[in-house]
Amino acid sequence: MSRPTLWSTADMDDDLADAVDAELSIYAQQGQNPAIYDQLGAQIEQLEPLLAIQQHMAALAAVPDVVKSVSGAEPFDELNSILPQFIVSFHQAILNRDLPSITMFYTTTFPKLTDRFYSRAEWPEPEIIAPLLSSNNATEDQVHIFLVLYRDLYYRHVYSRLQPNIDDRFHSYENSCELFNYLLNSPSSANDESDEPAPVDLVLPEQWLWDIIDEFIYQFQVFCSWRSKVKSKTDDELMMLADGTGVWSSYSVLNVLYSLIQKSKINEYIVALKEEQGKENPRPAEEVAQSISPYTALPLYRTLGYFSVLGLLRVHVLLGDFTLGLKVMDQVGEFLLGGSSFGAKTNKTSFTALPTLPATHISTHYYVGFCYMMLCRYPDAIRTFVTVLNFFQRMQRMRNYSGYERKDQYDQIAKTADRTLALYAMCHSLVLPGSPFTRLDDNITNSAKERYGDQMGRMSRGGSDALVAFEELFLYACPKFINANSPPYDDPEAIALLLNADPADAAEGSSPIPTDPTHRHLRLFLASAGAQSPLPTLRSFLHLYTSLTTEKLSSFLDLVKVNESDKEAVEDAEAEEEAIQEMMVLKQSSKSLSRIVPVQGKVDKGNDASSTGVRAQGSLLAGEMISTSDLNFVIDDNTIHIAESTVGRRYAGWFIKNTERSQRVLDEIRGSPLPRGKIGQKQHVPGAVTSGADAGAPAGSTDISGHKKPPTKTVAWGGAGTRATVDV
Amino acid sequence: MAASWITPPTRTELIENLVSGVDRYNPSNVGILEDYLYHQIRSQEYDCLANLAILKLYQFNPDLYNPDVVINILIKALGASPLPDFNLCISLLDERPPNASLDEPDPLPVLLPVLHGLHHLLYRCRFPAFWRAYRSDQLESLRDNYTVECAGFEDSIREVVIRAVKSTFTRIGTDRLGLYLDLDSPEELKSYIDKLGWTLNSEGTVVNIPANLDNQIEAVVVQESIKLPQLTKVIAQAARS
Repeated sequence: MSRPTLWSTADMDDDLADAVDAELSIYAQQGQNPAIYDQLGAQIEQLEPLLAIQQHMAALAAVPDVVKSVSGAEPFDELNSILPQFIVSFHQAILNRDLPSITMFYTTTFPKLTDRFYSRAEWPEPEIIAPLLSSNNATEDQVHIFLVLYRDLYYRHVYSRLQPNIDDRFHSYENSCELFNYLLNSPSSANDESDEPAPVDLVLPEQWLWDIIDEFIYQFQVFCSWRSKVKSKTDDELMMLADGTGVWSSYSVLNVLYSLIQKSKINEYIVALKEEQGKENPRPAEEVAQSISPYTALPLYRTLGYFSVLGLLRVHVLLGDFTLGLKVMDQVGEFLLGGSSFGAKTNKTSFTALPTLPATHISTHYYVGFCYMMLCRYPDAIRTFVTVLNFFQRMQRMRNYSGYERKDQYDQIAKTADRTLALYAMCHSLVLPGSPFTRLDDNITNSAKERYGDQMGRMSRGGSDALVAFEELFLYACPKFINANSPPYDDPEAIALLLNADPADAAEGSSPIPTDPTHRHLRLFLASAGAQSPLPTLRSFLHLYTSLTTEKLSSFLDLVKVNESDKEAVEDAEAEEEAIQEMMVLKQSSKSLSRIVPVQGKVDKGNDASSTGVRAQGSLLAGEMISTSDLNFVIDDNTIHIAESTVGRRYAGWFIKNTERSQRVLDEIRGSPLPRGKIGQKQHVPGAVTSGADAGAPAGSTDISGHKKPPTKTVAWGGAGTRATVDV
Repeated sequence: MAASWITPPTRTELIENLVSGVDRYNPSNVGILEDYLYHQIRSQEYDCLANLAILKLYQFNPDLYNPDVVINILIKALGASPLPDFNLCISLLDERPPNASLDEPDPLPVLLPVLHGLHHLLYRCRFPAFWRAYRSDQLESLRDNYTVECAGFEDSIREVVIRAVKSTFTRIGTDRLGLYLDLDSPEELKSYIDKLGWTLNSEGTVVNIPANLDNQIEAVVVQESIKLPQLTKVIAQAARS
């Protein structure tokens, strides 16, 4: 890692007086030391923040290509004035708890400055900017927390734009711990004698809070994958890893998330909100929060608590624990996956009390859906993916989504959505062709076919080719799995063994080098997907009959095998037996647990059933067995009987769509000005039936009335209404 | 269906607190959960989430790792097929470097592929092949050291078979069923069938399987059903103007 030292005296700005220069560079080198700070005179104290910045600027200039497309000294002059100003105002905004300004600095100014000046270099170290903060009359504590927050931005920038070295990895961990420790364990106030922790009076935008949790887990995941690559470590790194076994340990990460959840009492809060929903005069969410705990009362803690639940889901998935991932969502999940999606008002009282950011929404559905997929609950997975993909498509249509004008954030979301689409494509095939679940949302299916048409074709055909397609998509779309534990860096012997191990042994499975976790999960997934790979062929034969003998079926299957020519000719009786066993697999693959139980099936719960079915309450793990296939069969000794369900014609969608269209036409007519009666100058109103237009319209047309066909225009809210009627 | 899987009625309050609370991460509780596993083994109970909690502790604390416990958990999970319990357990087994601290050689690396194979046969409903593999000489150590301790192991596999058979068949030949259940003698098979409440035909060659949700088929035409609440949006829109 070759990084320029920020303090190299050679690069110092020569405008400065030599005498001051010498003294100040001492300060700059040890800027974090308050003792030296005190020794400096008042006059210098005024100068030095600026000086440190100038030094930093000079160091930047030494890095080639730091500032692209801007030549000469100008950018530095510009930065010279902007940077201190930015830091001071940013700090002031946080001190004032001025949320709009903080949001602006965080979501707009910081990224802009990054693009302009720091696209290839670090932001100034916190020690450099620290002296600037004294001008805001902040207490030591306030300066401290600002520096912690600043460091959070600083490291996040290093991780996203640059290559973090081992020091960055360790320090970003320490900084995160410091931040969480500050939030969780700050003493109530300076003049209070008791050491009881109390909530911190801090206001941060939701996006930032999400980024804090998200980045914490991301850095954990990156560290784990980096840590597991033993061979590429330098001696120094090996030594530091041997000493720092607690850094980024799974326990510490879980500890942070669980502490935030417990401190904020977010689950209790949600339970209380749900209870309120049932009441006649529900209390406002704010009041509910205050009744739970002083922490819950603050949006900062509620939001962090909620995001920690979602973070926990992600950590569990990364560690391969798909049941626990869904289990932590017990309280939150029902709200999140509550049918009507993001932004829409659910029931009467919506859960507006919980933050909903597009990034949160998409990431969480991705992980929940992935869990369902690994639990072989494909209907639930498909439903989850469809919800979020629809949301994403709507979001794409609203280009200027507030807060997401930034390209990198949008790209991140788009990437997750694309991987979700790949998972959807896989589940679409795994639920077997002809299942009603493949028709849940034609719009999404078409996007998936556009994007992954080749793989979807291969997956739905079955056979060995399907497995290759599954593997491709799985590796592209799966989360970045990690190992829970570090290689034994603290055990010199064991690590030497790993270092000297021959990679060739790995193939034979005798090597001590652990295989990477992604491939372990891939193997498991392919084993279940592989068990289904003969089924599409089998199904296509059954499709042609209402009854046939098992003997006949096995002879058909034999034909297929001859084509593949990799199977030895087996005896007839054996082939028949094989076919029957495969039929049992088909049967068991056409059933699945599902959170929503359709009413039309034989399982009818009666009472509170909507046309979409009975939704299981509570845990995301809950559900009942349902049939996922439209093709049903049964074996009567040696005869197979087949029955197929067909879907009757659907009218509701058509009617709703046209009701909405007529409504729109009517609105347009009402909204247009009345014709002024200027003869010869007719006002053109599209689709309108006014007296003026009537005169001009071809006479004798029978459909001049409310039924006149409006111009074909897709109505945004028409699409959503139509989809709601698809009942599975 | 899933409810008894999430919380089996046999689970005690102590275990429930461990499984659902933060205490599941406390390594000192592993003993309680392991005892519970052995209780499941003796009394033919099954609690997947509690067993996953053990594996979770092993995942985070490699020094707690006990191969016998892992193997027993996997054996229990076999009986849950075709639910994905077995794979869920395997997902939590991080690959570990050979553990030198154990007194005896670790039996898991040898048995893991074997168990994988058995699971694969079960999952693909290759029941006769499963029994052949299970009874084979290679698997003697698995039988003698593990499954023999697990009360009702073979019956739990038979239940997997029964689940598959009763949803697929209305009638099945006794020979075939005997092969699936690994019950060779007609007397054994007869008593097993009686226990299930299934009946034989007069010649005693075909078993009638009582009707259940899965083995009754009918061609249905699915009609959409729209309820008023679904149309509120549309109606409200119209009412506003």
